[in-house]
Parts: sequence; structure tokens; C-alpha cells
Amino acid sequence: MKKNKDQVLLDKLADAARTGTISRRSFMNYAAAAGLTASAATGLWGTSAAANPTSGGTFRWGVHDGNTSDTHDPGTYVTRQMIFLAHTHRSYLTMIEADNSLGPDLATGWEATPDAKQWTFKLNPDASFHSGKKVTSQDVIDSLNHHRGDASTSAAKALLTDVTDVTADGDNAVVISLARGNADLPWLMTDYHFAICPSNGDGTIDWKSGDGSGPYKIDSGEFGIRWELTRHDGWHLDGAYFDKVTMLVLNDPNARQTALVTGDVDCISLIELKTLALLERNPNVSIDNIPSGGAITMPMHCDTAPFDDVNVRNALKLAMNRDEIIEKISFGAATKGNDFHLSPVQPYWPDDIPQRDYDPDQAKSLLKKAGQEGLTVNLSVADSVYTGAVDMCVLYAEQAKAAGINIKVVREPNDGYYSDVWLKKPFSAVSWGARPTPDVMFTLAYKDDAAWNESRWQNERFNELLLQAKGELDDSLRAEMYREMCLLMRDDGGTIIPFFNNWVYARGKGVKRHENVAASWSCDGARAASRWWFEA
Amino acid sequence: MNVFVIIYYTLLLGGSCLAAFYNKRSAFLLLFSLTLVSFILGIVGGVGALRLVAICAGLLALSAMVAYAFREFLVAIAPTNLAKELRTAPLTAGFGMFIIFTYAIAGIFAPWIAPFGEAQIISSAFAPPDETMLLGADQLGRDMFSRVIFGARNTVALALAGTVMAFLLGALAGLLAATTGGWFDQILARTSDVIMSIPSLIFALLMLSIFGGELANNTTAFYLLTIFAGVTGLLVVTAVSERSVMGWIIGLAVLGGVSAAFALGMLVIFNPSEIILILVVAVIYSPRVFRLTRAVAGNVVVMDYIEAAKLRGERTWYLIRREILPNSTAPLVAEFGLEFCFVFLLIAGLSFLGLGIQPPTADWGSMVRENATLISFGDVTPLIPAGAIALLTVAINFVVDWMLHRSSGLKG
Amino acid sequence: MGDILGLVGKRLGLGLGILLIISAIIFFMVELLPGDIAEAVLGQGATPENLAALRKEMGLDQPALVRYFGWLANAVTLDFGNSIVTGESVVDTISSRLANTLFLATYAAVIAVPISIVLGVLVALLRNSIFDRVVNVLTLTSISSPEFFLGYILILYLAVKTGMFPAIASLSNDMTFGELLHRTFLPALTLVLVVTAHMMRMTRAAIINLLASPYIEMARLKGTPPWKVIVKHALPNAWAPIINVVALNLAYLITGVVLVEVVFVYPGIGQALVDAVSKRDFPVVQACCLIFAATFILLNLAADVGAILTNPRLRHPK
Repeated sequence: MKKNKDQVLLDKLADAARTGTISRRSFMNYAAAAGLTASAATGLWGTSAAANPTSGGTFRWGVHDGNTSDTHDPGTYVTRQMIFLAHTHRSYLTMIEADNSLGPDLATGWEATPDAKQWTFKLNPDASFHSGKKVTSQDVIDSLNHHRGDASTSAAKALLTDVTDVTADGDNAVVISLARGNADLPWLMTDYHFAICPSNGDGTIDWKSGDGSGPYKIDSGEFGIRWELTRHDGWHLDGAYFDKVTMLVLNDPNARQTALVTGDVDCISLIELKTLALLERNPNVSIDNIPSGGAITMPMHCDTAPFDDVNVRNALKLAMNRDEIIEKISFGAATKGNDFHLSPVQPYWPDDIPQRDYDPDQAKSLLKKAGQEGLTVNLSVADSVYTGAVDMCVLYAEQAKAAGINIKVVREPNDGYYSDVWLKKPFSAVSWGARPTPDVMFTLAYKDDAAWNESRWQNERFNELLLQAKGELDDSLRAEMYREMCLLMRDDGGTIIPFFNNWVYARGKGVKRHENVAASWSCDGARAASRWWFEA
Repeated sequence: MNVFVIIYYTLLLGGSCLAAFYNKRSAFLLLFSLTLVSFILGIVGGVGALRLVAICAGLLALSAMVAYAFREFLVAIAPTNLAKELRTAPLTAGFGMFIIFTYAIAGIFAPWIAPFGEAQIISSAFAPPDETMLLGADQLGRDMFSRVIFGARNTVALALAGTVMAFLLGALAGLLAATTGGWFDQILARTSDVIMSIPSLIFALLMLSIFGGELANNTTAFYLLTIFAGVTGLLVVTAVSERSVMGWIIGLAVLGGVSAAFALGMLVIFNPSEIILILVVAVIYSPRVFRLTRAVAGNVVVMDYIEAAKLRGERTWYLIRREILPNSTAPLVAEFGLEFCFVFLLIAGLSFLGLGIQPPTADWGSMVRENATLISFGDVTPLIPAGAIALLTVAINFVVDWMLHRSSGLKG
Repeated sequence: MGDILGLVGKRLGLGLGILLIISAIIFFMVELLPGDIAEAVLGQGATPENLAALRKEMGLDQPALVRYFGWLANAVTLDFGNSIVTGESVVDTISSRLANTLFLATYAAVIAVPISIVLGVLVALLRNSIFDRVVNVLTLTSISSPEFFLGYILILYLAVKTGMFPAIASLSNDMTFGELLHRTFLPALTLVLVVTAHMMRMTRAAIINLLASPYIEMARLKGTPPWKVIVKHALPNAWAPIINVVALNLAYLITGVVLVEVVFVYPGIGQALVDAVSKRDFPVVQACCLIFAATFILLNLAADVGAILTNPRLRHPK
């Protein structure tokens, strides 16, 4: 399975390398993300120095997307600034390792009952908060309960609806009981909302003080502007090579690039893709171009004409030239989508589903079958969805003309897009962050009764499989079920997935990283501060 | 010493000598000081700098020739009275008129002039210029030249409509407030204070978020336009009717018809979301015009001749039209030239917030914004639309300067 | 003088009234905006249950009028409440931002106002000369590109290529005043370029407008040198429109610099306001807007008083 997947990716990569659409640097990153060993990758492209981290220095980190009105409340984390900060000053039960596998953070180990209804997490006895207090099971229980219950205001509440109880098993173990079996619970615990905060002792947590048990402690800072952090000497894991971390919020793409080029910061978390090729020429800058599970989707409401006809849906899927979109909108920094919401870097990705390609003629004939020739539809989009999202839709509209489809692109205001357009307009463009497993993603946005079933898709077989797969602990059976679900999404579903966007970030001179970087968030799974180091 | 440098200095020196011989003092000073400066430039910057100077001078000479020819052309075809006026226009004004004329032609005949459609994708992203694409391609592979041409149509029409409406409302209210004074003046002044006290970007953000989306349809646009025209017209009626009941009735009837006709006319030209944008622009800018008009007219109102006219028993409308307006045109015209380009920039700023013109419509402001980051790498793509805006702004203000000069009654 | 004091008093009273109206307008505009604060805070993570819980926690379950008057009752005692999102006091949230904004505005104004008035007088004196044209073309070009673009160009040449000034104006507490001036030079320069043209052209227009007046003709015939005609005779009568435009631009320096703040990463109040609007954080939006409005009213009042003081006719109405 794993081997097979690597082979497919490798073939793709070799192809890209031959046609010159990919730089050497990008090749190495793709190869690393595909899970290739360093030697396999270097065998294809030459040499790469072995990593030998050294301590010291102040890591100045320019991050995008910070808002003045952010808070330390893990339940309402929403901006990237807070996600980066949370992974720097707080800890989670589990974490996604640099090689994209699941690894320990506060929990040293975990095990489930055979029906996957009860999970026990053993806590690391060395872990402590910055205040000096040890991390105990009470802190974990209260932190998880912060996202549960009627009074909870957490955005992650939906993820924990199946949890019936969280109890302590001594000071250093926590038991989570579920209403239904969930084989993915340890993966779920990596979600950025589930940061562990110190308990107040009365069932609530102290999130206001900004105390955490992560690798760095906050010295001072202001939301949406900057943060100063110092290494937490009692951190329970290896790493955290920098002495200090300064996080600067740089919302403007030009400000970020300039700051990196002039040496005002050591790393920036997002590059404007338009300038990717130009920035790559700068010898002092290393660019990481990492495929991710984050997707751009275009949901069509399956209960609204004309999208209630599967032929129309498939015609719209066929009328998109994904290669051109990736070339012109993502400037190559994306993985082609195949209309099912699972990316090659995520677990259970089925490698044998044929790629859907641009075929205006077939789209035309499907429309004829549906009696919808010369179809006109409105496609809603906002600039904030993704850099170039409006351009992407304009491009798609041009491509669809060849299939006789007239797509009218409606630019909606950025402000309020997700409350007034998404889920409300029958055809829109949406950006999704990566979820750790297919189960989380499918349950969130494709299940018949999901609050965010953005395409209003109702497929009995899909929903049946989804429930079965959730409690299945046998990996190969599970993979088979996910494959079938993916096929259903692709051929019957109401969501077009043009591409999975890559994380594209850049490091300045002297900032080193390990061979592998996590694909869960930008900057090595948002853990750059604890995983990277300065060259001695 | 290469041939270019030798020709360069020969021409400059020859020119200076000729100018000196024919007693053209200013031309001589200009040419000879340029020669002296060139010595220093040549030493510091080398041949490259001299070439740059030569190119600039060439461009300047070219624009001067174009301006001269265009002015003579206008003089030749204009009726005698106008021709006399035009003859007084300085070369800069001629140049300005030429640019405005070019833009107008480009805008009106855009679909025929532009080689490609504004949304048509014809090549790869950022393709360099070649025979078919004069200015290369933009980020989607659309022809930059065609988009600049279409931009002239879309951007200028929007900005012009917005500015004109802001001026109609603002100037009328300002003149009326200055002339009548009293509580009427106070109400208008305080209303404008309220609108102006809300920062324009935030005000636009709020208004467009409310009226954008669902409400951007023909009916809403029609009502909003009618209301706007109605308010403007009400000011005229107030001034003309002079508190006579009959005047009010006739005025209101005419006003209703004119407003509706105006709204319908606008709906033919623009689509609803553009109309809402125009109205927001007009509402934001009219208080600025109002304040200025009121201040300028306020200085005129205290003059003796106004007092005399009032004692003569002249009506308000007459005072505004024949006494105050002619004496406060100059600052107003100057303001118009500037406000016009501020409107461009506001629209560009709004597209920063995702509220500007609907894609794929070409608009200069958004074209600058979309590719702005490329400038940090020395890529000139964003400079093309920015240059288009700058050229028009400069051109308009050249013409404005001339009119200002003329209306001030200064000779020479 | 007594008249003017009376006027100032009256205008200040009116100003308070205007602030009241503005607070109501802003409140109801924010209410009319699509989506509410709970939806904005939870973003894509909103479900009906946690929305309801959050609305309750934030007090959004009360009717809009109750909330407005609740806010107003506190505001008249100068208590601007707490941010709904963060729970921090609004005054704490924006006071340091406001100080930064005022600093930048002052910095830019100190450079821009004298330059534009002097330039305006100079080009009026040398009207239609090459100097006039060049200054005009340069200032017009500088205001005809969007200000963020102007910022990018300055960054390219003055920060990236030559390294004379830092590209980002992020502040820290241990800076000396000199460092501060150096670090914030580029945003200040951008603002100077943005506002100079307007003020300069108005000065020029206002002066030229007066040059044909009989008393100027008289002065000229007496043999007064041209610069003296302008500075001593024309300028005093041209102050009214000039002061007006200066006031407008000063207000702009405080209220309209969001884009410059973003481009140079300067922690000013504009960014805080835009953030608060996107989160529908009413108390912060309200406080920022009222500060802006008050700035505006005060500057306008100053302009009007200035206009009266400089025009004897207005000073002594018949």
C-alpha cells in the first residue's frame, strides 16, 4: 500500500522533473513529503547534507493572518497567528511528526478497547507548565471539557460530540469514552483547538494567562502584532534549539517577502505564489513547497436545480482544466484534485482511482443528456478564500465555455463570506484546512446530516460506509471502505475539487530543518520553532 | 568616446549657440545648463545616464510636438470664438487634451481597438511582450494591452460618474448653504460633518457590505439612484422656487420625472453593483465638495457686489448662477481634477477589501493591486496600469491648470 | 474675540451632538452587516449550538436597542466598555495604537504641511514655468498610484536596494527617539507623498485665484516685487481654502492610513478598526470611529476658526 503510493508519486515527480515544471528544491520537498527516505530522494537528485542541530539564537518568524481581536482561548483559535503560537507555547496530547506519522506529545502512549469506544492516554510525568506546575490528568480533562457541553463556545465542539466522558485514571492517565467507536481518536487529538491549558481546579481552564506546557513560554506580546518567547527549560520533548523566538505578524505579502529578503526575519509562513519563481532565484532564501491536505472545493447544492442532476454535476467537473488552474493560479504549488476530499499526503489515500481530466466534449454530451445545453450558473467567490481565488473562477469560467457552459463569477465581499455565502449560495468556492484523517473530513462536510454538508449531498451507501469505517480497527478493510467512499464522491458527489494547495513558506540563510517536514500546517506542522535550528 | 556621446554634445552645443544667436534667452539657458549638467552626469553615470537624458528629452520633445499639433488641429476645426480661446492654451494643456482625447477614444471604442477580449485567455501567465501582445500577458494569460484599453472604459466611466454626481450634490448644497445661511446652512453643514467624520474606507466597507450581495439588483439600484437624484434636485427646487407654493409644485413634478429618467438612464449604462459603488463614492465625496464650495462661496458672499445684488432684490437662484458661481469656479475646477483621481484610488482601495468591480471586468486599480508584489522583484507589470492612471491624472490637471489660469483673468 | 469663543463653544456642543448621531449610525450599520460577532469569532467552526452559547455569553441575545442604550449609558460616563471578543477593556486595547497613529500622523504632517505650502507659494510665483510643471507632474504622479503601491516602490528602492531604511516599521519598547524616526521614515514619507499634492495644488489655486484682484494689481503697479505680492497680499486672503484642505488632509493622516499600516506593519489604530469590523466587535468599532469623528470635528472647527481669523470680512460681518 505504502510502497505503491510512493511509486505513483515518484513517477509523477520524475515526470515533472523531466518536463522541467519543478525545481530541484521542490523535488526534494515533494519527495520528502511522499515519505521517501533521504537516500532514495538524493539518489535521484544528488546530495543533501545530514542534519546535526545546534542550539542558540533568536528565531524571528514572520507569520501571516493575525488579527487584533484574537485571544488565547483555544476554543476560538481561528487565525494562523494563533495556530502557530499555540504549537509554540502549548502542548497537545499527540502530535503529527515530521514524517506525517502520529507521535507522542503530552501522551507517551495510548490504547483502545477492541470496539474503539474507550481510549486510554498515558501522560508524560515530566511535562510541566511554564508556571512550574506539573501537567496532570485534571488539566487534560478540563481542557477537553472546554470544548464539550451545552455552555461550550468552542468551534471544535462538533469534533467531540461522540465523547461521552473524560475521566482520570490516576494523575498521569486519562480515559476518553465514546458513544460510537472511533479508531481515529488519537489523530483527532492533534487538532489545533485541543491545546492543553492549566486547570483552574473548578472544571474550567485558565486560558487567559497564556500559560502552556509547550517548548517556549511567552515573555510579552500583543495579538495581531508580535510575540516574544523564551525557551521553556522543562519541556518534556527533544528539540527547541532556539534560545528565543520572536513572532511578527506580517499580513501584507510584500512586507513578508521584503522582511525575509532584507534579513529582518528568518522565516515567513506564506509566500505569494506569483512571486515564487522570482524569490526562488534569491540564493539566501530556501523555499519549502510542501503538498498538504488543505483543499479548495467548489460545492454545488445537490438539492437545487440544476445541480440536482448528477450529469450536470459531472459536466461541471469535466469542464475544468485543472492543469491550467494549477499552472496559473497556484504556479505549480498544488496537487491536482480528483473530486474526492483526500490528498496524497493523507492516510488512506487510494492510489488507483483514475484522474478526471478536462473533457469539454464529454461535458457537453452529459449536459445534452440532462437536457441542460447552454447551461448558465452563478459561481460565488471572494478574494479571501485563497490567493487568486477570484482569478481561478474566472479562468474556470473561460474553460467551461468550451463545454457550452456559461459560468458567471460573482465576487462576494470578503467580510462575512463564510456566514452569508458559504452553505447558502448553491455554487461557491471554499477553502478547507487539512483534517488529520478522512473520517474527520468526511463526517464534517459530506455526511448527510452534517452541519457543514456544503454540497447538501445525500448518498445512502456513503453514509453507511462512513459509520462502518469509523469503528473499524483493521487498516486494510478500512482503506477499502475509504476507497469506495472516494469513488462515490468523485462520481456522484456535488463537490468539485480543483486542487490541494501546497504549503509554501521560506527560510532565510542559516535556518536549517530536518529532511522531513510535517504537512499538517505551514512551517513544519506549525512547529518550526521547536524543530528547526540555526546553522552553527 | 563613442559616436552617441559625440552627437549628443554636438547637438546640445549647436542648439545653445543657435538659441544664443537668435536671442532666445530661456531656451539658451535651458540648453546650455543641460550641457553643463550632462558633463557631470556623463562622468558619474557614464553613457547610460546620457542615453537616459537623451531619451527623456526625446520623449519630452515628442509630447511637445504632439501637443502643439493637436492644439493647432483643434484651433483649425473649432469655431472662431473657441479657437481664440484655444490659441491661448499652453503646450501642457494641449498635451493634456490630447491624452484625454486618446483615452476617450480608447474607452468608447474599446471593443474595436483592443485586439482581444478583456476576459479572453490567450497565453501562459506573464508571457513577455511579442507582436500579438504589445504589453505581454497578465497573471492569467490575458492580453495586458487589451485590458488596459478596456480599463479606460470601465474605470474612467465609473470614476467620472461618481465624481460628477458628488460634485452636483456637493457644489449645489455648498452654494445654497453659503447663499441662504441660517438654519439651512447649519443642517447641511452638520450632515456633511457626520458623513465626513466616518473614515471613507470604513464607511464604504460598511455601505458596500450592506448593499452588496443580495441587495445589488436593479430595483434597489433604481430606488437608490432616484433618491440621490431627488435629494440633488430638491436643492435646485429650493433655490428656484423662492418659497412660492406654485414654484414648489411645478418644481417637484419636474424633479420626480427627471430623477426617474436619470435613474433609468444610469441603469442602461451600468450594472447594479457598479451603480451602488458609484453612489457610495458620490456620498463619500460630496461632503468634501460641499465644504470647499461653502468655504469659497462664503468668501464671495460677503463681497459688496453680492450685497448690492441682494438689495436689488435678485433671487437666490440668480445670485448663485450669475454672481457666486462664476467667482468660485477656479478652486472648484481644481478640486474636480484631484477628486477625480482620488475616486480611482478609492475604488482600487475597495478592491483591496474585495468590494470593487466585479471580475473579470478590467479595472486599473485592481490591476495594480493584483500584481503589486511583483514590483519588489523589479517586474514592471503593475507599473503599466499605475502609469495609465498617473498619465490621465496629470493630463486632466494640466487642462485644469489652464482653465484655472484663464478663469482667474490673469494675462500671461 | 468673544464672538469666536462663542462660536467655538457652540460648535463643540454641536460636535457632541454629531458624535451621538455617529454612534447611532455606526451601531446600526454594524447591526445591518451580514453575520454577527458570534459567527465571525467561530468562523467556519460555527454550529447552531456553540453559536447560541457564544451569543448568550456575549449578551447578544438582548435586542439591539437595549444593547445600544446600555453602551450609551456607559459611554456618557466615559466608560467605553470591554471588547466583546477579547473581554479586554477597549481603552487598553486601542490607547497604545492611537498613540502610534498620532505619532505617525504628526511625523508626516510636520514634513508635509510646510513643504506643500512653501511649494504651493513657489509654484504660484513661478506659475507656468518649467519648475511649476515639474513639481506638478511629480506630485500628481505620486498621488495617482494607490498608496500601498507607492509604499512598495519606496520599499524597493530605499529598503531592499539601498538598505537606507528598514522595510518594516514594527516597534519595540526599547527604541530611542532617533531610532523611532528612522524606523518609521518610510511610512511617513509615503503619507507625505500622498497628502502633499492636494495641499500644494490648493495653495497654488487659491493664490492664483486672487492674483487678478484689483488690490493685487494695485500692489504690483506700486512696484512691489512678485514674491512680496504673493506672500503679503495674496496669501492672507487665500488662507481659508488652504486651511480647509490642510485640515482635511490632517484628518486623513489619522483616519485613512489603514493600507499604509498594513504595508509597513505599523501597529496603528486603522488595522485595529478593520479587524474589529470584520469581527463585528461593536465596542471597539464604536470607540475607534468616535475617536476619528472627534478628530475630524476638532480639525474642522480649527479650520473654520482659522478661516474666520484670517478673513477680516468674516471676522466683522456687516
